[in-house]
Amino acid sequence: MKMNRKLTWMLLFGVATLFTQCKDSGDEVEVDDENELITSVTLKFTESGTNTVTSFSYKDPDGDGGNAPTKFDTVSLKANTSYTLAVEFLDESKTPVDNITEEITEKSDEHLLVFTPSPASLLTYTYGDKDKNNYPIGLTGTAKAGVAGTGKLKVQLRHQPNAKNGTPGPGSDDVNLDFNVKVK
Amino acid sequence: MKKYFFLILSLAVISLGHAQNPTCACFIRGIVKDQHSGQPVVGATVLLIGKNTGVFTDDKGRYEIRNLCPGTYQLEARIVGYNAYKQTIDLTAGHEENFNLEEQEVHLKDVEITAHRTDAPSSQPLTTLSGNDLEQTRGQALGESLKGITGVTTMQTGSSISKPVIHGLHSNRVLIMNNGVRQEGQQWGSEHAPEIDPFVATRMSVIKGAAGVRYGSDAIGGVILVEPEELPFNKPLSGEVNLVGFSNGRQGVASSTLQGGVKGLSGFGWRAQGTIKRGGNIRTPNYFLDNTGISEKNFSIGAGYRKKGFGIDLFYSRFDTKIGIFSGSHIGSVTDLLNVINNGEPFVKSGFSYKIGRPNQNVTHDLLKAETHYHFKDGNRLQWTIAQQINNRNEYDLHVPRNDSIASLNHPELTFKLHTLTNDVIWDHKPIAGKISGQIGVSTLYQYNLMTGRPLIPNFNQFNIGIFWIERYVKNDWEFEAGARYDYRTLSTHRIVSRKKVSNDFTFSNGSGTIGATRNFSPNLSARLNAGTAWRAPNVSELFSDGVHHGAAAFEKGDSTLHPEKALNTIASVKYASEKLTIEIGGYYNYIKDFIYLKPQPDPILTVRGAFPYFKYTQTDASFKGIDISGAWQFVKNLTITSKLSYLRAYDKRNDSYLVMIPANRLDNQLKYELPELGKWHNLYFSAGNLWVAHQKRVPPASDFLPPPAAYSLWNIQAGGTIHISEKQQLEVGISVTNLFNTVYRDYMNRFRYYSDDIGRNASLRIKWKFGA
Repeated sequence: MKMNRKLTWMLLFGVATLFTQCKDSGDEVEVDDENELITSVTLKFTESGTNTVTSFSYKDPDGDGGNAPTKFDTVSLKANTSYTLAVEFLDESKTPVDNITEEITEKSDEHLLVFTPSPASLLTYTYGDKDKNNYPIGLTGTAKAGVAGTGKLKVQLRHQPNAKNGTPGPGSDDVNLDFNVKVK
Repeated sequence: MKKYFFLILSLAVISLGHAQNPTCACFIRGIVKDQHSGQPVVGATVLLIGKNTGVFTDDKGRYEIRNLCPGTYQLEARIVGYNAYKQTIDLTAGHEENFNLEEQEVHLKDVEITAHRTDAPSSQPLTTLSGNDLEQTRGQALGESLKGITGVTTMQTGSSISKPVIHGLHSNRVLIMNNGVRQEGQQWGSEHAPEIDPFVATRMSVIKGAAGVRYGSDAIGGVILVEPEELPFNKPLSGEVNLVGFSNGRQGVASSTLQGGVKGLSGFGWRAQGTIKRGGNIRTPNYFLDNTGISEKNFSIGAGYRKKGFGIDLFYSRFDTKIGIFSGSHIGSVTDLLNVINNGEPFVKSGFSYKIGRPNQNVTHDLLKAETHYHFKDGNRLQWTIAQQINNRNEYDLHVPRNDSIASLNHPELTFKLHTLTNDVIWDHKPIAGKISGQIGVSTLYQYNLMTGRPLIPNFNQFNIGIFWIERYVKNDWEFEAGARYDYRTLSTHRIVSRKKVSNDFTFSNGSGTIGATRNFSPNLSARLNAGTAWRAPNVSELFSDGVHHGAAAFEKGDSTLHPEKALNTIASVKYASEKLTIEIGGYYNYIKDFIYLKPQPDPILTVRGAFPYFKYTQTDASFKGIDISGAWQFVKNLTITSKLSYLRAYDKRNDSYLVMIPANRLDNQLKYELPELGKWHNLYFSAGNLWVAHQKRVPPASDFLPPPAAYSLWNIQAGGTIHISEKQQLEVGISVTNLFNTVYRDYMNRFRYYSDDIGRNASLRIKWKFGA
């Protein structure tokens, strides 16, 4: 009898500890703003000698997963024409929108943009900017369209902290997009 | 009538033996006690192996075997619900000068047997690692230490993260019982190793096959029991110091234990234990792997009290590890992965360093447990265990955020905090007619998970209640058991979708059953057959994953309509054990209905890092069938050959295809030479062995970036022995070299096989100093 009472007490104590520990994990769900994303990549082509800007974008406003990308433009260029190419990266999942281009400029010695047209005759790219170590960056440059044709332009943002040497090799991709290209 | 005849016959044989050999008047007697409670065990069978003699313990747990000739005997005690106990008894000492039948001089050995209680189903194969076998694994991670058991392999992420795989199943399909409490961490992750310090345990056992009735959900592939020694009640101060050094990674491990009773206070016992581990970059045969160091600091304390039938144990342990993740395994896109694969070796070069930079994991696991039991005088027993676990996992990516103000916070990119409370009440009813024993139990689990950082899995609250009932019946050479269980689970998840909170509620319920039989044909030969079921509710990552899994370069998507998977496992084994030869052959067929897996989808998913192969969590029916064979043969005095074969075939029944990530078949051979005495040395041994792992040919076509690696063969050598410094102090020394010839290889189950070779030669030195009792 005495033992039974002891056991009952122990059981009560156990149940009490069990329920005082309860917590609603739903109360602690928060939007995380420290998580950096690139949701939008825009290629801005300015025809040489003019002020005509044509922009082509990739947009996936909620990042990977969730909804599919909302925009993936075909780059349309004039044959045998020279363009100034500026690239803009945004994180549109945040309010206000986070401009990643500025952060890349600030840490330009850790980043390299790589433009790879296929076929190679589609377009010729020349870097127009340099970081403090005299390595190219690729946020601005010149793109010269070749003869009429179609193909792809691979745009890579290589993240190369402490390893940048001017070649695409080191680091890993932060952006890797194949834009369709039409040269008319 | 038959019975009488048998009785008369056996009496005749004994008296005959007596008449022929008048020296046979030795006897063995003793008492069988429960190691945990110290209470006598009634109705245990005590056998002399190879002699066909056996007795039962009486109501005070006593046994006596008379009329033995001088000699060496193997004594075995078997009790339903306990591990078998074996001891060699020497009845030869001094018999020549003393022997005289007229004077009734007897040679007597008083053997107290303390049986270790196990809740494992007795008809399922249970392999235990203890003593010297366990010592040889000291310093290794939990998963690594269990690799020597047939049918058990590991799934690895590099060399420092390894998860145990039983019969091809792992993660949420293998349950780990740490000191009687189900281990709850983030098991779903392939790079999340069990948060347990193996030095806490003096025995580690593996139950192969579904054991869902006794242990609840997740016990689909098997259960791993990690158990410390019983507390040293009323015993003098004792302890041990272990030092282990490994050449690869220049890793050092130090662990020590101090324990004893309390003088003047009867019934108390305590133990304190701590481990420190530090290692640097791992070396493959040709190059170092950058950032593969490890730093670990663990400790545990326990105390307990026993009085008559009452007992209480308190236990606290903390596991704290920081593991560097090979920086060359970081990829941003499929292109990055293909580039590393084509290169054949990592782009990131490194020398040796102890530094642990990014990426890394920082994990702590706290366990607080209280267990109390009471043996009623009539034989009933009630046990209640309550435990709290707090698992904190922080994962740091290779790259710090670009934004300096965020980067300066140095927050982990992923944080998981999992709190778990478990409650188990188990009632062992008193044996019915000395033949039927059983237990009824209620287990509850309450847990909540908080996650911050890059969205990966939702926050959740989970509650589970399970009720089970198992009965065992022993008659002559037969042992039967049957059991049933019912589980009910609720799960509420909370996550952010498009900056808004979305909550979902789930309920899962399931019935499980087990039925099995064991037949002891002779003291040498026994057979077991068990059919059991187990279930597992889909975990949150299977329900809600939605993003790129960078380790696998795959886009993985969950499915919130998944339902629980159920396993029906049939396992049969035959064991023959004699002094010189031991053979165990086991076969299993595990059929898993609604097996949850990642099914490749026809179209890739486009992300800003390019297109990734798309996989969706889907259910199928899978079969896992295989054979485990192990044998040890002492073919010449002191020379033993041990062979272990693990053979497994897994199949996706619904799609008529193979499954991915199934361990390749393997054969392990060891030749061991033992010297019981050599000068100051005791239990000296030298061994050499080979592990051959086959090429995994059974994979779905075009399912992987890199086909499974070729077969490989690794050689190893070991030597060791014990020196008795004094009566109460001894020193155990062991040396070993694994991957002796520095063979270049990659293993299919190592997720870093895309990036680098596996670990090269590793020499180790172990020293253990034991003092006190």
